[in-house]
Amino acid sequence: MISPTGLDWLDRRRFLGSFSSGLGAIALSWMLQNDQRSVAAAPFDPLAPRAPHFPGRAKRVIHLFCVGAVSHLDTWDYKPKLIQMHGRPLPDSHGGKVVTFQGENGNLAQSPWKFRPKGKCGKHVSDLLPRLGDLVDDMCFIHSLTSRTNTHGPGEIYMSTGFTREGAPSMGAWVSYALGTLNHDLPAFVAIPDPRGVPQQGPVNWSNGFLPAYSQGTAWGADRPIEHLARPAGIDAEADRRAASFLRELNQVNLAQSPGDSDLAARIAAYELAGRMQTSAPEAGDLAAESPATRALYGVDDVNPIKAGFARNCLFARRLIERGVRFVTLYNGAFAMGEGVQNWDGHQRIKSDYERHGPVLDQPAAALLVDLKARGLLDDTLLVWTTEFGRMPTFQKGAQGRDHNPKGFTAWMAGAGVKRGTSFGATDELGYQAVENVVDVHDFHATVLHLLGLDHTKLTFRHNGADRRLTDVAGKVISGLLA
Amino acid sequence: MLLPRRLMWCLVGLAVLAGGVAKGGDGDGAGFFRREIAPILASRCLSCHSSDRKKGGLDLTTRAVALAGGSSGELAIVPGKPAESELLAKVESGEMPPKNPLAKGQIEAIRAWIATGAVYDREPLKPASADAGALWSLRPIARPTPPPVKNGSWPRSAVDRFILARLESEAIEPAPEADRRVLIRRATLDLTGLPPSPGEIQAFLADPRPDAYERLIDRLLASPRHGERWGRHWLDVARFGESHGYETNMPRYNAWPYRDYVIQAFNHDLPYPEFIRDQIAGDAGALGLASAATGFLVAGTHDGVGNATPEGMLQQRMDDLDDVIAATCSTFLGLTVQCARCHDHKFDPIPQRDYYALQAVFAGVKHGERVLSLIPDQDRLAELEQVNRELGRVEDSLDGFEPLAQPLASRPTRAAVDAVHDIDRFEPVRARFIRFQIMSTNDGSEPCLDELEVRGPDQPGVNLGSAAQGAKASASSAYAGDPRHQIGHLNDGRESNERSWISGEKGKGWARIELAAPARIDRVIWSRDRAGVYRDRLAVSYRIEVALDAGQWRVVASSADRVRDGATTNPPSPAVSREAQALLDRRSWLRERSKRLARPDSVYSGIFDTPTPTRLLARGDPAQPKDLVAPASLSVVSPRFSLDQSSPEPARRRALAAWLADPRNPLPSRVLANRVWQYHMGRGLVSTPNDFGALGSPPTHPELLDWLAGELVRNGGRLKPLHRLIMLSSTYRQASAVSARGQARDSGALLRWRYEPRRLEAEAIRDAMLFTSGELRSTIGGPSYSIWEPNTNYVAVYNPLKHLGPGTFRRMVYQLRPRSRLDGTFGVFDCPDAAQTTPNRTVSTTAPQALALWNSEFVLERAAALAERARREVGGEPREVVSRLFLITLGRAPTTSEEAGAVALIEHDSPAALGRVLYNSSEFLTLP
Repeated sequence: MISPTGLDWLDRRRFLGSFSSGLGAIALSWMLQNDQRSVAAAPFDPLAPRAPHFPGRAKRVIHLFCVGAVSHLDTWDYKPKLIQMHGRPLPDSHGGKVVTFQGENGNLAQSPWKFRPKGKCGKHVSDLLPRLGDLVDDMCFIHSLTSRTNTHGPGEIYMSTGFTREGAPSMGAWVSYALGTLNHDLPAFVAIPDPRGVPQQGPVNWSNGFLPAYSQGTAWGADRPIEHLARPAGIDAEADRRAASFLRELNQVNLAQSPGDSDLAARIAAYELAGRMQTSAPEAGDLAAESPATRALYGVDDVNPIKAGFARNCLFARRLIERGVRFVTLYNGAFAMGEGVQNWDGHQRIKSDYERHGPVLDQPAAALLVDLKARGLLDDTLLVWTTEFGRMPTFQKGAQGRDHNPKGFTAWMAGAGVKRGTSFGATDELGYQAVENVVDVHDFHATVLHLLGLDHTKLTFRHNGADRRLTDVAGKVISGLLA
Repeated sequence: MLLPRRLMWCLVGLAVLAGGVAKGGDGDGAGFFRREIAPILASRCLSCHSSDRKKGGLDLTTRAVALAGGSSGELAIVPGKPAESELLAKVESGEMPPKNPLAKGQIEAIRAWIATGAVYDREPLKPASADAGALWSLRPIARPTPPPVKNGSWPRSAVDRFILARLESEAIEPAPEADRRVLIRRATLDLTGLPPSPGEIQAFLADPRPDAYERLIDRLLASPRHGERWGRHWLDVARFGESHGYETNMPRYNAWPYRDYVIQAFNHDLPYPEFIRDQIAGDAGALGLASAATGFLVAGTHDGVGNATPEGMLQQRMDDLDDVIAATCSTFLGLTVQCARCHDHKFDPIPQRDYYALQAVFAGVKHGERVLSLIPDQDRLAELEQVNRELGRVEDSLDGFEPLAQPLASRPTRAAVDAVHDIDRFEPVRARFIRFQIMSTNDGSEPCLDELEVRGPDQPGVNLGSAAQGAKASASSAYAGDPRHQIGHLNDGRESNERSWISGEKGKGWARIELAAPARIDRVIWSRDRAGVYRDRLAVSYRIEVALDAGQWRVVASSADRVRDGATTNPPSPAVSREAQALLDRRSWLRERSKRLARPDSVYSGIFDTPTPTRLLARGDPAQPKDLVAPASLSVVSPRFSLDQSSPEPARRRALAAWLADPRNPLPSRVLANRVWQYHMGRGLVSTPNDFGALGSPPTHPELLDWLAGELVRNGGRLKPLHRLIMLSSTYRQASAVSARGQARDSGALLRWRYEPRRLEAEAIRDAMLFTSGELRSTIGGPSYSIWEPNTNYVAVYNPLKHLGPGTFRRMVYQLRPRSRLDGTFGVFDCPDAAQTTPNRTVSTTAPQALALWNSEFVLERAAALAERARREVGGEPREVVSRLFLITLGRAPTTSEEAGAVALIEHDSPAALGRVLYNSSEFLTLP
């Protein structure tokens, strides 16, 4: 049941909602943020759905981020020349004896996995990820992505926030800030950490930075409940309700005494939303409601507990999207506990590391794409797959693994508004540097925003003397990807 | 009228902004020009189209000449008719500015500007970087005359006259004075961050003296709680965090002396010039805590991950220095100097060269720790001895919680042996010899003991078995050929495998201690490796025998009643009692303290190295170095300083500190006065406290700001007189009541026609809960308490402690603040994560906040303690309990209907249920 104050507030929200669509809403929400009390007595619902700058193809996004820097040369970027040149040094024409993040490099090394043509488009991908490989006809690859750092932390937040230094809002926060949410009782932006732990930069990846707190990502996973959501042990439902109702009474008396207190009205509304979340969040996380076939498709009961955990997160991501969550970031891999142990940082023994990580990612992620498509969700949902940067075509000196390489790496997108079965851009014939249609992470972000109907140059927030953007002062939409 | 849709939005934008005219004088056409258009013209057009250069005959510096157009004969600007304006056509086609066209948003802004009449707010417009005179904040601080007012009885001071004159010009009445209950709650929360106690409220309400309120303010300003509150404000601005940030995010356990320095500075009302000097160059000459003040320079993030590529290392270094420059300039000058890292500042008169001149000032500053003598050695060693003595007593008491050994038992009643620490306790017995007889080990190899302690009830804190007490160790045999393992190591007081005894026989052997004299003993404490590295060679079957005379052995303990390693699980350990928990907390505090006192402090307050040459970097790119740049001040603020390329490190920072502290530099005093006003009133006179540049908000009351800044300077930079000036004003004492006229003219109350209540910050909410529940510990300063589990991974992992005990019941300003890892309950209340400076906290209201306060264990436990406190104070009668709970938390009695509801709730459920509600009530969370 909703209180009179709550109803009143909802009415005002409708009023504001109808008044403020599109650009104006974004301007308005900025004003309200910076001048909250100027619109007294009208608690502004900051996450009410808002129209984009122009009609977008995508309504929601799932960002699948593989932590630790996945080697493009062992997954998506097929280089026959690298196989030919295996065991020889990186030629001088390609930089010769380059020093990278950890130091000197040994000789060129072909991938331990065979590449073979897949799908109707015949795209060559490696045997490391066979099920994802089967879906190449639905994917749009970018092989010419570059990063501006060779270090995990900055690389990870560059992908998450557009800046290599901490403090900027994440992509999901920008999108929630711009577009609000499509649901009324769940967060707008959910970050799902890997079963093994949070990514390297932890909550910085879903931070709201200098944007208002309501745009922050909520850490929530299939096996990781929202913090403080559950009614405390030892307080039964009736007692909880009695206390809540007395709280409402107190606050409303207070409100009656200070009419026009929008903070107080907003607080009453926040408690009501929290109450609704207590019901709807467990429902969203109830994977038992899924059919055995769907559960099997993802592998939620796999004998490998890490794979099963990640599979549950993938299925959970789909359920969130279905319920109108605007932006989901799904992590595969966690913070470092030894190189390559629990993420994709294969410096020393890439073969044995990736033999563990490949199967964790492959079936669940493929199932997510297949399932989204089968349910028609892919029509207006964008699924993007990224990592912080690529790896070297050489093995490190004295090792069986590859060092960091920000000069060229691969990401892919699938779904709303992107071409299918397409590859864009290329690295050189050894896979060391991007040479054709070179793009940067800002361009990638600009493209994601564009697909959502947002002009990355207009989505701004005034902070510390500058109109800040996800794309800083750069970024061009990669039109070659757009369907 | 039909307008293109996009343009319409721009106009809506203007209209919406125009609604804010009364609030900031900022939303009319002139405001739009100042904010949106002037920066474009100044930075992108005037370098060619000025009155000096007039390229193509066009001059855009004043409206009149701009409208006249250029030599082509086309009209550059036709007010109201964007389509006929050549300027718009040129920028739209990308022809102008040459090479680097304007962004779409900028073009739209120009279109809207022309459509609405092409207003200029000042003439002539000057090119960016030359427009110093136009920036209000750089003008010398004026001594304005307080204006005349009609209502002569309202103002108590000049502050009120500035406020009232403006209100009268808008025909808005100020609100009446707030009642005393509100005043004491407001002032106490504002100055100390804690609510007033029932006794303090009573005393203030009953104080008949005419200056009761003045006395209240003076009492609060003298409270040590004041520095904890206002120091926290400063730490926000100083982006103080206690970890590196980035991937490793390693904790900085020794960054806290800077925090303590700041708190003390506020408590002692350190003059601002000294406060500046300490933080920029305090390493040179300051004593005690002040020597830790340079923690300011390195309070920010630091990417310490090793990078083998020179460009990667250089980038990290440049980013570190950028953090120092940005923090220094935002904090003390309110200028966004970091915008000039890659190019001349687009809006403020800060050339790129100035940025590198400041980088040269800091060229020797590096992240890291310095050894500082925060405490004189003599005092340190005296305290160390005292702490160690108490530690011994506490450990003795804790040993008393160990179950007694039952050597004849047939069933396990004690935990399995542990390689790190084992206690065998028995009834006190008089003995001279103690023998540890080992029958088998966990891996069959020769048993190892790194230490064997013997303790008794008569000499607390003393290991009777140690060589230092004259005891002698002997053994059945010893491991041959390894000097690390000798019988003498058994009781040498030094632990770990490196100083241990190993038997010469596989799986067995005995070790014996002979005390200096017979004594009553009641326990033997032993271990395989207290360093926790080795777990092999562990005695699993053993017995402990004692004798008064050699040969008359008597078994006092054995492994018979211990769970065998690998067998089932340990017997359930009894719940830790309150008493034991208190001892455990005390022990961990004493251990920390002892460790800290054992050597002089290493403090995370920066390392100062020989500066390397500084070069201007084209586009901020370390790969494009240009000319050498010498250390200097910003060129636009007089008096300037500049130093030689070769000047030594500390001289550079000292020169900068002197320049910042110079009263002729108008920025630091203005910026600080504005911050003080902001924290008292909820919003600064300048609402962008770190940006006094062209893009910042201009002051709502420029003369008042200068008056306050002037007062600050006159008081030698001491803040307490300024607090007093503001808090004694009628402006501050207003009620929060809303008036229709005020609401209609100025709904944001920017003109201060009422006092605006606001939600408390995370720290104040947590502190207020602990304070009202009676659990807050008032210890000031020292190492931060942590709410995170200890962790030894090579990248820091912050898992919250499962349960927060009394060790964490200190004010939140003392909580370890690793970057980006926020308190699980209170972090959601817009707590800054210290990645960047936070000059004013956003105040959001969200569902996660509601969940945290409603369901978290922390709040429920405080509610239970609060209920218990009320019961202690007034007994169990429901009405009494309700009254008391309201008084403690909200500082007032319940109304009749509140009382009825509250009594019903506690009768149905419990007083703790009412405590939970009160802690969630808006009134509790609000500074009224």
